[in-house]
This record gives sequence, structure tokens and C-alpha cells, in this order.
Amino acid sequence: MVAVLKGQGAPTQAEFHEVISRSSGRWFSACLKITRNRDLAEDAVQDALLSAWDKRQQFDRSAKLDTWIHRIAINAALQLLRKGRPGVFEPLEIEVESSTPTPDSIRADEELGQSLSLAMLHLSEIERVCFVLKHLEQWRLKEIAAETDTNIGTVKQAIFRAVRKLRVRMVSLQSEIL
Amino acid sequence: MNDDTLVLYYYDDGLSIQERRDVEAAIAGDESVRARYEELRLRLDLLDTGSDVAAPTHMVQRWHDSIDRAAQREHVPARSKSSPFNAMSFFWGAVVTAALALGIGIGVIMSGSPAMVELAPPIAYQDPETTSTVPAAFTRGMQVHFRDTQQNIAALAGDTTEDRTLLVMRIIQQNRLFERAAEQNNSAGLARVLRAFEPILLRLAADDIAPEDAAALRRQLAFELNVMLTKLERDTSKETHKT
Repeated sequence: MVAVLKGQGAPTQAEFHEVISRSSGRWFSACLKITRNRDLAEDAVQDALLSAWDKRQQFDRSAKLDTWIHRIAINAALQLLRKGRPGVFEPLEIEVESSTPTPDSIRADEELGQSLSLAMLHLSEIERVCFVLKHLEQWRLKEIAAETDTNIGTVKQAIFRAVRKLRVRMVSLQSEIL
Repeated sequence: MNDDTLVLYYYDDGLSIQERRDVEAAIAGDESVRARYEELRLRLDLLDTGSDVAAPTHMVQRWHDSIDRAAQREHVPARSKSSPFNAMSFFWGAVVTAALALGIGIGVIMSGSPAMVELAPPIAYQDPETTSTVPAAFTRGMQVHFRDTQQNIAALAGDTTEDRTLLVMRIIQQNRLFERAAEQNNSAGLARVLRAFEPILLRLAADDIAPEDAAALRRQLAFELNVMLTKLERDTSKETHKT
């Protein structure tokens, strides 16, 4: 009976449990890449799950539940980031490096453990967020602009700067390894 | 053909059809553009997503639990609404909140050195060594808030749905004030705890919450508040012994 009901209408409690077991690591990682803060990433996933549960009647069965929650989690992470640091997504007129790494951000980067994470240490907040959403999450420029309350021009500039910095950093990281 | 255009071409986003055709023509017909694009493509391809970080086990369990609790609460029909809102209670609550907020503000101004607003590492409430940088007035205000909330939560048991909703909404408002105060005092840990209370409080304010679920939430909140009070009192006491 459960098997019959599953797949029709709103996602069931059992489906939520299944998807938490299967995909919560991916949601958490994505939120960690955006926030570089474990606590915020945990809160974002928690908020996303409760929000998804409350809105489960709106879930379109043609989509995947884990992808749907993933998207809500990223939005929650962006919201928490904005709430903690108002103006974080305002456009920058000059090239800047990231602010001094905090213990939280260093810990998050160590956990992410990738050369990309090391290179991303040098990005400003808006550059990192726009790059992660474009390159890793494959969002459209228009979507990124909407979710960060900026415009496409700002998002493009942030991505261009991020790519420029990352190319330089990746080259120097590779030469250090070699 | 600059690199920024090539970046947009790589992501297949932000270029018009004509602009894409221009890039394709340049790559096909110009050796230097082709070389630059290949180099860019290789570099960007190397920036892979990497493996996912495992979420902490206790958090995964908490996420499972939150779905169970949310589902349980939906199984009970709405209760009747009868009792009127106690305006005096609301008034005094608002007065107390304003006074506390003012006290914290003054405390922050009196004890605040310029370093407090700098980008110092956030003070984790788990770390007793760093609490000394938190103004004493702020800690005292927070203790009063936690005790006040504890009493209000305990008083909710006998309230009607309407009273309970109003009282909980007031607690939420107070909680947000203190959350902001915690953020301004670089107490990220405390701010996070206060933020975590809100979803629980919102559920407690729901019209259709079952009495047993409401009781469970009250117990959970009472427990969390107790933990925070103990923690703050212990830190205050350590600080007193140091001085």
C-alpha cells in the first residue's frame, strides 16, 4: 500500500526520511561551500527541510525530491548569509581579496579539502557565492541575480573576477605541488 | 575576443545567439583565440565539485526528527479559540523587553571598545575562554531573557490557543531582539541558539498543535533554556573567580 501511495501527490514522511539519508550530505556540502560556516550550513539544511515539509503539496512529481530540497537549502544558506552580513552581495567597485579567514572558514575549507577550496580562500564573498552557484550548482545568471538581490551585470563581474583569481591560484597551487 | 566572453561561452549563459556564433567563428578561425579558450576550458574543468562532506550524524538524526515532529503535529484537529488576549500582560512584557534591550545597549556602549565591532573571530558560546570579551551587562540581560522565557513557556500550559499564540509571538519578538544583540556582541554561538528556538516556538504557536506535542515542545524548550542558563551562569562564575 505504501508503495502504491508513494509517487502520488505530496511526498510522504517516508520519502523525506529516505531522501535525508541519501542526500543530506550533498545539501550540507553545498551549503558549506556557500557559507563556509558549519553552523550556518546545518541551520540552512534544517530550515530547508521544514520549509519543504510545509510546502510539500506544491512539490511537482516530475521533479526529484532531493533536487527540490537541495535548491531550497541553497536559498536558505543565501538567506542566512545575508541575514548575518547585510550588504554581503552588494557590487564591488574594486578588486578585493577575501577578508581575513576566520576559524570557521578555515575549518570549512579544510573539510572541503579540495584545491578549489584553497583557491577560493582568495575570493570575496560575492565572488565565491556567484562562482559556486554558477560553476558548481549550474544556476543561470538570471537566477543568481534574483536570489542574491543583484543584477546580471554584477553577477557576471563577480564570476569574471572569480575565474581570473582562481586561474592564477590554481596555476600557483599546481606549481607548488609539482 | 576577451576572456570574459569566453567564460560566458564556456558556461553557455549570458550571450545572445549572435554573440555565441561570433565566439564559435573566432575559435574556429583564430589560432590564438582557440588556444586561449582551450586553456580556459581545461582550467575550469579542473575546478571540479570534489567529494561531499559528510553531515554530522547528530545533525542527520535531528533532521529526521524534525520531519517526524512536523508530521505528528499535523495529525491533530484544530482546537477551539475562546479566551481574549490579555492586553496588560502584553504591555508589561513589552515594557520589560524594551528595558532589557536598553540595558544591553547601554552595556554594550559602556564596555564597548572599538575592537568589538572589528572582524574578530566570532565568540563561540561553547568556548568559555573567550566569553570574557562579552560585556557583563549583555550576559546578565541574556540570563534574564532566558529565565523570563522559561517562566512564560511554563505558563503556556494553562493558556487557551489564542492566548498561547499571542504569548509565543511575543516571546519570538523578544527572542529576535536578543538574537540581534548577540550578533552585535560577536556572540555567534548565542545568536545561533536563539535562532534555533524560533522554529520550535513557531510550532508551539500553531493552532492545531496537539496537547501532547505542545507539552513535548515546552519540555524541549525548557531543557534547552536550562542548558543555556547553566552555561551562562558557569561562565559568569568562572569570570568572577578570575577577577
